[in-house]
Amino acid sequence: MNFRRGQKVEIYQRSADEMWAPYMDRFVGCHGIIVDPDTAINDPDALVEVSIDGHGTHRLPQDCLRLLDA
Amino acid sequence: MEHAACPVNATLVELAAAVEAGRLTLPRSRRLAEEILDLLRDVAQGRAGTDHLAALDALAEELRQSDDSPGCQAAAALAGALLADHREVLASHIRTGNCAAGECLRLAPAPCQMACPAGIDIPTYITLIGEGRDDEAIAVIRRDNPFPWVCGLVCTRPCEFMCVRGRIDQPVSIKFLKAFAAEKALSDRRYVNPPQAADKGQRVCIVGAGPGGMTAAYYLALKGYGVTVLEALPMAGGMMMVGIPRYRLPREVIDREVAMLEALGVRFRFNTRLGRDVSLEQLRAEGFDAFLFAIGAHKSFKLNIPGEDDYPQVIEAIDFLRRVALGERHMPGRRVVVIGGGNVAIDAARTSLRLGSEEVTIAYRRTRHEMPADEEEVEQAEEEGVHFAFLTVPVAVQGAAGRVTGLRCLRAEMVERPGSSRKSPVPIEGSDFDLEVDSVIPAIGQRIDIDCLSGGCDLTWTRRNTIEVNLSTMETSEPGIFAVGDAVTGPATVVEAIGGGKRAAEAIDRHLLGIPQPKLPPVPVRRGRCAQIEVPASTKMILKKPEMPLLNLERRRTTFQQVELGYSENSVREEARRCLRCDICLRCGRCVEICRDKMQIDALQLGYFDFDHPVTTDFRRTEERCILCGACAANCPTGAMRIEDRNGERILSICGTVLNRQRLETCQSCGAVIGPGRYLEYVCQRTDPHLPSPLGRKLCDACARRAKAAPSVDTMPV
Repeated sequence: MNFRRGQKVEIYQRSADEMWAPYMDRFVGCHGIIVDPDTAINDPDALVEVSIDGHGTHRLPQDCLRLLDA
Repeated sequence: MEHAACPVNATLVELAAAVEAGRLTLPRSRRLAEEILDLLRDVAQGRAGTDHLAALDALAEELRQSDDSPGCQAAAALAGALLADHREVLASHIRTGNCAAGECLRLAPAPCQMACPAGIDIPTYITLIGEGRDDEAIAVIRRDNPFPWVCGLVCTRPCEFMCVRGRIDQPVSIKFLKAFAAEKALSDRRYVNPPQAADKGQRVCIVGAGPGGMTAAYYLALKGYGVTVLEALPMAGGMMMVGIPRYRLPREVIDREVAMLEALGVRFRFNTRLGRDVSLEQLRAEGFDAFLFAIGAHKSFKLNIPGEDDYPQVIEAIDFLRRVALGERHMPGRRVVVIGGGNVAIDAARTSLRLGSEEVTIAYRRTRHEMPADEEEVEQAEEEGVHFAFLTVPVAVQGAAGRVTGLRCLRAEMVERPGSSRKSPVPIEGSDFDLEVDSVIPAIGQRIDIDCLSGGCDLTWTRRNTIEVNLSTMETSEPGIFAVGDAVTGPATVVEAIGGGKRAAEAIDRHLLGIPQPKLPPVPVRRGRCAQIEVPASTKMILKKPEMPLLNLERRRTTFQQVELGYSENSVREEARRCLRCDICLRCGRCVEICRDKMQIDALQLGYFDFDHPVTTDFRRTEERCILCGACAANCPTGAMRIEDRNGERILSICGTVLNRQRLETCQSCGAVIGPGRYLEYVCQRTDPHLPSPLGRKLCDACARRAKAAPSVDTMPV
């Protein structure tokens, strides 16, 4: 999976990834915009930077994201 | 789901409900509760001072002793619990003017500020720039980011993606306004460091002079710590200096901002690599009290194809850019292929052109649509003559007599994989072709060089080979050792590293002071409360984002001069006026609902309120329909919507955008202001359409009553 800048996404589930911190649980259900995708190798394992509406900008594992405007 | 509720707001709501429900029966206890409510409203609205806490303590105690009734005791317990259990939150509201949960409406940061990894108070500095107060704007920015000029040129600008103005037309050009203000303030010699705290007598060692390390150095130096920065390169800047080409970020920009750190007493040790020139043990023996690793990600991933390691003309992009930045300006080859689709690939290609390469091709295995590089960078590269070979997968580097002669590639097609709706590139069998090149530059990503941290400390690493930290504090598994930047996140952005550096500085300070660390990452803090700039609705709609003037193409293809030349001063001031001031208007939609549903006027076409489904906005429509009743302003929870009588006019504005203004009518009898004509008509139509004003005159209520009553009074028998 690869995301592009400017795409709207939903954080639709918790991630099992080690980079998922407990405070990120409150992001589940929130919508956001991809602001810095995996910039080089389109790695499905890479962390992507998402600006979440009302919750700031965070680097999240891709398995918790789904596209809203696919 | 965990919900971060604001205890200040929760107490305010509960206590107000108790007072309203009459649960406090004695007048004295009711008065005390109302005083507590007043003070809490001050806190929630960002108006509280340093003495509010003490006053709240005293009032809560007085309330507790005033009456033994259950209602009063419950109210006192409520206030007491807030003061005892959430004192830090209260103090934070007072000190920072920020409500972390965003529930205290007047204090919630704007979406752009929330989006900034460094948490810069964007609406405040944009307003200051709009007023020509560039040095004050820079002071606001540097509260959260010590590199405004750098970020003004190379930030990935998450703020602009969240900019609410983008739901109307285009986002405010936040990045370039910042660059302008920094340049202007420096040029005017008004770019100064804030006052420094007294020397704390403790020393911090930072490994790596990139954006993360230097940000931490700046804030620690301001807090009064002695800071030493070790850097393997001969100059400060890290990836900003050796990873971003000079035509995007001139070296002078970094040098000037680094000089500000030196002015604070930050000491740099260049050409000093941890693990090679100095060990952690030696540094510990020097007496440093804490360490911050900000070593970046300077190693490249390999292509893992035949021939990759056989020829000197195969140059990893990050090495190539570093060598050029350090002064080795040799053409990599006459015909160059760069492999990758990110910003580093674009930078390597454009740098090759500038060094004289005749033909530069970027080979990317997906389509243009999937390229992760910035769109502007891709466009500029194309303008300069860089070719793109999409759906191209390299399979072998070819060469003869020790020199590269070509790159064997396969065509690819985008195919949906089973179980996934997204397409991936799959090489097409038998589609081999050769690109005739004499240099190959792989740019498929970076990783961190873990060798330099292999001795002397026992850090925990993630499976991505990055340093594992607590993301709230950037503290590693080793007490007293912190880490930030690409070493933690993997290759990321300058502004993320800056945000991490600021967070680490705060955490190091707490660590050295022995204060408990926070459980959550910090929330952005409002740094000011600027008045709104008044702009007519038509101007607000008409103003367009200015085009960035670029260096002419010939110079772009031959020199490393800065490509983006910057906005003119006039453009900057106008662009700042496009800001919607979302730090004041929270887009709750109450004004639109009241106008449409209660007043049935529907004069507010503010389609930008919804994040997911914005619709058309036209501030000018208000003037056509609005009766200036003021219902929207009366119901606005933040004061964003304002109605005021000024110079014989009634003016309605939202965050400074003047939506409607009409002349005020006066009573023809006593001269009192009776409102704008359209409002009077609206009232007349609804109250008594068949009854014209007495004698056809416009009168205030009192005079109209008097005029109507006069005949009855005159004829009434006494």
